[in-house]
Amino acid sequence: MSAIEIRNLSKSFGLVRAVDDVSFTVEAGTVTGYLGPNGAGKTTTLRSLLSLVTPDAGEALVNGRRYASLEHPLTEVGAVLEATSFHPGRTARNHLRIMCTAAGLPATRADEALETVGLADAAGKRVGGFSLGMRQRLALGSALLGEPKIFILDEPANGLDPAGIQWLRGFLRHLAHERGAAVLVSSHVLSEVEQTVDNVVIIARGKLVRQGSLASLTQNGDSAVRVRTAADFRPALEAAGARVDEVEPGLLRVYGLDAEAIGQLALDNRVLLTEVTQERSDLQQVFLELTEDTPVAAEGVK
Amino acid sequence: MSNLIRAELQKLFSTRIWWAMLIVMLLLTGLSLTFIVIFAGDPAQNGAPGLPALDDPAWLPIGLSTASGGTIFTMILGVIMMTSEYRYQTITGTFLTTPQRGRVIAGKLGAGVLVGMLFAVISLLVVGAVCVTAVLIAGGEVSLTGNRVPQIVIGVFASLALYAMFGIGLGALIRNQIAALIGAIVWAYVIESIFAAIPALQVVGKWLPGGGSQALMSIDVDTGLGRPDLLPAWGGALLLVGYAVLFAAVANLTTTKRDIT
Repeated sequence: MSAIEIRNLSKSFGLVRAVDDVSFTVEAGTVTGYLGPNGAGKTTTLRSLLSLVTPDAGEALVNGRRYASLEHPLTEVGAVLEATSFHPGRTARNHLRIMCTAAGLPATRADEALETVGLADAAGKRVGGFSLGMRQRLALGSALLGEPKIFILDEPANGLDPAGIQWLRGFLRHLAHERGAAVLVSSHVLSEVEQTVDNVVIIARGKLVRQGSLASLTQNGDSAVRVRTAADFRPALEAAGARVDEVEPGLLRVYGLDAEAIGQLALDNRVLLTEVTQERSDLQQVFLELTEDTPVAAEGVK
Repeated sequence: MSNLIRAELQKLFSTRIWWAMLIVMLLLTGLSLTFIVIFAGDPAQNGAPGLPALDDPAWLPIGLSTASGGTIFTMILGVIMMTSEYRYQTITGTFLTTPQRGRVIAGKLGAGVLVGMLFAVISLLVVGAVCVTAVLIAGGEVSLTGNRVPQIVIGVFASLALYAMFGIGLGALIRNQIAALIGAIVWAYVIESIFAAIPALQVVGKWLPGGGSQALMSIDVDTGLGRPDLLPAWGGALLLVGYAVLFAAVANLTTTKRDIT
């Protein structure tokens, strides 16, 4: 049984088909990135998993069950949704204590969770004065209260400063790889999760576009090396077996040779290179194509 | 369930609205009590009913019954307890913690009863202290067991508690905070008073929440328009519980089922 299982999930809001026949699973001990442009259906999928949204068809299960049928949901699933869902007049500690009370967890978990997410100093402050990043940390703290083994996070990096993003990456990896949790994290920015995730699921306009391990997706396809030089380097590259596209005068895209081989070739031919760059992976290409030509038509679906 | 009731109480007492509401309730109850003290002993004139004098044993129950004016405030608090979850989107976290949504509303109804009783205790203590002092200064005798005083005390407890439930049920049905508050206030101040004041409408009025509340305390004072036609006290209590449960049940089948997006 997979920790998270989504099977033929569909959901429409009015005429907008927010999620259209999406299926994927997330296994314990792995981090899965759920990627797509804004309005692609990520949030609807995650909210269906949490029984906040009722799917029109298909199933979204955690530990093989519907979230709404879990007797102690906080001990099985930790969720981070929008960062704004706090009462501004309530302190961070009280927010978590209320959840502890309702879930039957000891109140001490609230301070422990605040400590973990680095909010111990702000525990007694009203959330109204929190920055977006602090709210995001508080939301993460609420997900940790019941020490669950499944984490569902919707754009958790939103509003975090670079140090916070760095910390979040490490924390998610720690949860999955050291504590054996299943982590599903959505993002519309590939680079945010690229260094964190083991697996990737890409969705656009409600439909699943691509899924697989990060490694398999990045190794597929031709990766190119950008080479900038004023010299006529092309014949030497082609003689070495490479396929060369001239992007513009002086800028070549080279397929079939890696950067090191190209450097060696340049040295052998006494050619000055001013740039040698491994082009972004196939995954990045796929993702960029999706994000570029997708209108934000389904924005209201959020 | 006791966990959920405690969580709801924590929610209410961890923000500031409850004591603001308490202060406003005490101020307005105090205002109407002041008039009842000042005009005590005024004879009936122009068909308007008079008030018994302070040293008349009939005055004390009238003075104490001003505490029932707190119903509007516990009702508003009930509406806020429910609708602020939608307003601040804390409903997401609430339903994540307790995905069985009916249990969340049941917990709120339970907490509402307790909060209503707390308000009743405070209101009765303040009103009671003023009334007893006024009677003693006027040279009257205070009897806390006679003259329907126990019944009025019970009536104040029940009506403040049940109106809080009523507000929660209403808030579950109408998720928009402003709409729910306006609805509640218009209902309590306009519609109810029309049905309570006009004898021909009292046949219907006694079945409304305000009629139930009056029945609880048997405030059968002749307002000059004829004695009101009311249900028995237990009937009034059942009526208020019935409204709250009806609203909550309808909400459970409609608004509460909606997607949280």
